[in-house]
Order: sequence, then C-alpha cells, then structure tokens
Amino acid sequence: MPLVRKSQESPATAPSDPASVLSALAHGTDDERWAAARAAPGAPAGAEALGHALATERNLRVREAIFTSLARIGTAESVEWVLPHLRSDDAHLRTGALDALRAMKGAVRPYLEQLLGDLDADVRLLACELARNLPSEDASRLLCGLLDSELEANVCASAVEVLAEVGGAEALPILARCADRFRGTAFLEFSIKITADRIRAQAVPPRG
Amino acid sequence: MGDLAVLSAEEFRRLCDFLYRRTGMAFTDRKQYYVERRIAERMAATGAGSFATYFSLLRIDVEGEVERLVNAFTVNETYFYREEHQLRCLTADLITDRLRVGRAGQAIRIWSVPCSTGEEPYSIAIWLLENWPMVDRYEIEIVGSDIDTGVLEKARSGLFGKRALMRLSPALVEKYFAPDGPDAWKILDDLRESVRFSRVNIVEPLETRPYGHFDVIFCRNVLIYFDDASRRIAAENLYESLAPGGYICLGHSESMSRITPLFDVRRFADAIVYQRPAESTHG
Repeated sequence: MPLVRKSQESPATAPSDPASVLSALAHGTDDERWAAARAAPGAPAGAEALGHALATERNLRVREAIFTSLARIGTAESVEWVLPHLRSDDAHLRTGALDALRAMKGAVRPYLEQLLGDLDADVRLLACELARNLPSEDASRLLCGLLDSELEANVCASAVEVLAEVGGAEALPILARCADRFRGTAFLEFSIKITADRIRAQAVPPRG
Repeated sequence: MGDLAVLSAEEFRRLCDFLYRRTGMAFTDRKQYYVERRIAERMAATGAGSFATYFSLLRIDVEGEVERLVNAFTVNETYFYREEHQLRCLTADLITDRLRVGRAGQAIRIWSVPCSTGEEPYSIAIWLLENWPMVDRYEIEIVGSDIDTGVLEKARSGLFGKRALMRLSPALVEKYFAPDGPDAWKILDDLRESVRFSRVNIVEPLETRPYGHFDVIFCRNVLIYFDDASRRIAAENLYESLAPGGYICLGHSESMSRITPLFDVRRFADAIVYQRPAESTHG
C-alpha cells in the first residue's frame, strides 16, 4: 500500500529568547519577522515591540501576524498601539486595525465612547462596528447617544445598521429624530425604516 | 413543543443577518419554519421567555450558545465520503497542482483536522487508492488530529457502525473493512496503520507548530464555532502548517476570506478552496 505513516512530527522548538524575538521583529527577513510577530506575545514588552513594528511594517502577511498577536495579548496597551491605525489612509492598515480591535472586544470597551465622539467621521463610523460586539443594551445606548447628534449621514447609516441587530424600543424615538434630520437622504431613510420595523417587531417595552 | 410561531418575519431576518455574519450560515425565508423549530428548542433550553431575550444571550454567546445553536442546525454525525466534492477536487486539481512543485522525493502530506472519529482521514486514504491513478508512484502521509482524545481513540480503533459506511458501495466496504460483530466493521489493518492520529488544539500556536509542510489540509466546520480572536489565531496556525502553495478545504458555510487576507481563493470545478501563496506575494 503506497500510503505511509511516518514518524511523529518534529517536536515544537522552544521559542527563541525574548531578546531574539524582539530583534527579529525589527530587523529580520519577512519570514523571520512573521515568526517573531507570532512569538512576541510570549515576550516581555511584546506589545510595545509589536506596536513599534506595526508602525513601519509594509509586508501585509507580517502586518496581519502583528495584529493577531496584539489581539492575543488583548490588553489596554494592545488597544492603544492599534487605535492610531484606524485613522490610516492605507485601507489595508485601517481594516486590519478594525479587525484586530474587533477581536479584543473586552479591552476596547473603555475606549468606545471616545471613539464614537471622535472628530474624524471615519473613526466614528468604524467605532459603530466595534460597538456591535457589546451586549445589546450597552451597544444600543452608545449608538443612540451618537445617533442623536451625528451630522454625517454615513456615520448614522453605520450606527443604524448595527442598531438593526442590537437595538431595543429605546432606539425608536432616536431613529425617528434621525430620519427627520436627514429627510431626503433616501438610503438613510430606508435603512432607518427597516431597522425601526425590526425593533418594533420585538414588541418588548423600552429597556433601562 | 407547542406553538412554533416564535419569530416574526422581522425577527427572523434579524436572526439570519446575525447568523450569517457570525457563522456564515445563510437561511432564506423558505427556511423560517426550520429555523423556528431550532430557536424554540434553544429558547426552552435556556429559559428565555422571548426571542428578544434569547437573541441577547446568543449575541454575547452566553455559555457557548452560538455553538449550541449551530449544533442544532447541523448534522452532528460524520460518515465516509461525506464531502465527496472536496475529495474529487483533491485528486482532480489539488494534488496535481502540488506535484508541479519540485518535491525531491518528499511525501504528499494531507492533514485532517479536526478528524473526529476518523471517517475523514480514512475516506481520504480510500479515495486516493480508488481514484488517483498515480497513487503507487508517491508516498502519501495522512495525519488526523483532534482536540478530543476520546474521539482519537475511536479513530485509532478503526471500528465503524453501519451509518458511518452508508455512502460507501458494498464493494468498497468489502474491500477495505472486515465485519466485527453485529453492525460493526473494522477497517483493514494496512489502511488503519497508514493514518497517524494525534491530539492538537488548532488555536494554540505551540501545539500546531510541529505540524508543517502539509500539501492539503481539510479543516471543516470548526472555525464556525470560534470567536473573532480564536479564528484569526487558528487561521495563522493553519497557514503556518501548510507548505507554500498548499491548500486548505473548509466547510461549505465557512470562508477564510472573512477571517484573514493571508490566503488566496481558488475556484475549481468541484470546490472552492483556499491557498497559501507560493511565496510572499502578500508582502
């Protein structure tokens, strides 16, 4: 029979010492930086090294590993290294940052109010998506707060889309006011109608 | 169970949007009754008095509720030749493509993870012996891994019941199995000994690190259960376990593109699979 059963896989080699990991992350080849990024969560000051590397890394594969390792660490420090990249003009970097933050929902929670009130409309828009990971009542409260004063239609649309999943009856008057403010903005009116219909269908009294 | 009209049309759509985003499972309006039955069961099991209450539990995955609901939707049994289209793709396209790379006598390596009680890795072995004319010209290593040592013991035993063999022709059953008591068949020793089984947690990099240079990985219906962070880690571990240019086959509702940009999507006649780029084209 041509099928063969070879010996066991090679045992896992122990990760390099932390200094080597951090050095490789900064100065290694693509493959070395990839491996170092994956090993960095086990190194002291790993989040800091990953954060510095993220700022200069151009290889998308290595960058992805850096984001994942920051998410694995999942501390406030990780969040703070990732947050600035939500403002990046590089779409890959911006999306990578959003995905990484989505993967550390507990650590990102304390930053959400600030993000939803950011001066940059793009950041507010992305923050709506981060709110989706919260328990429904918390997410609905945050998004209603944003929606009641938001001037950018695209940000409202992002909040409304998440409210379609998380919103309760408390969101209905806010959705109505938003629809009034953006009368004539057809896509948003349509989105608000769909979301309000979904919330009404729950037939549950307002929460909180 | 009493009245099954537990979901309004709007609630059904809200649920479907969530399930698609979270798991990749898609249901049309025509499936509402089917979905409602499972939701009613889960609402009863969790003590949720309304869909709104249940949906809140589901969204934040209280006590693994996403996994419990997915299990209610999926057929939790495995059997030989379950995903024949992927096996056809393996011999029609994937192995052929992998052989274009200079191999210098290296074996073709295939990993089934999670392999449960062994039906998938043994199916791969039988399929290759039956359907790949060049099977005698190459060494082929097949590894089955799972996090559950209980199912691995069953896999190693090579004992299967009638339901597990339902998709195999009588001729194949006779060729590769021997009766072993009432309604039980044991896979032939030669075949049983050609598949190696091992325990691994694919979310733990230290555990997957020894597994490398696979040409093809079958990783079906496990990423669907993971949260965002675990999916990312598992995807990178699987990437690292593939040889450059190697392929990964997922379950039909799963999409690697929704998890990570590391892989290229490849569409073949029989299946959509994901490929680790041959070299660092993503850099």
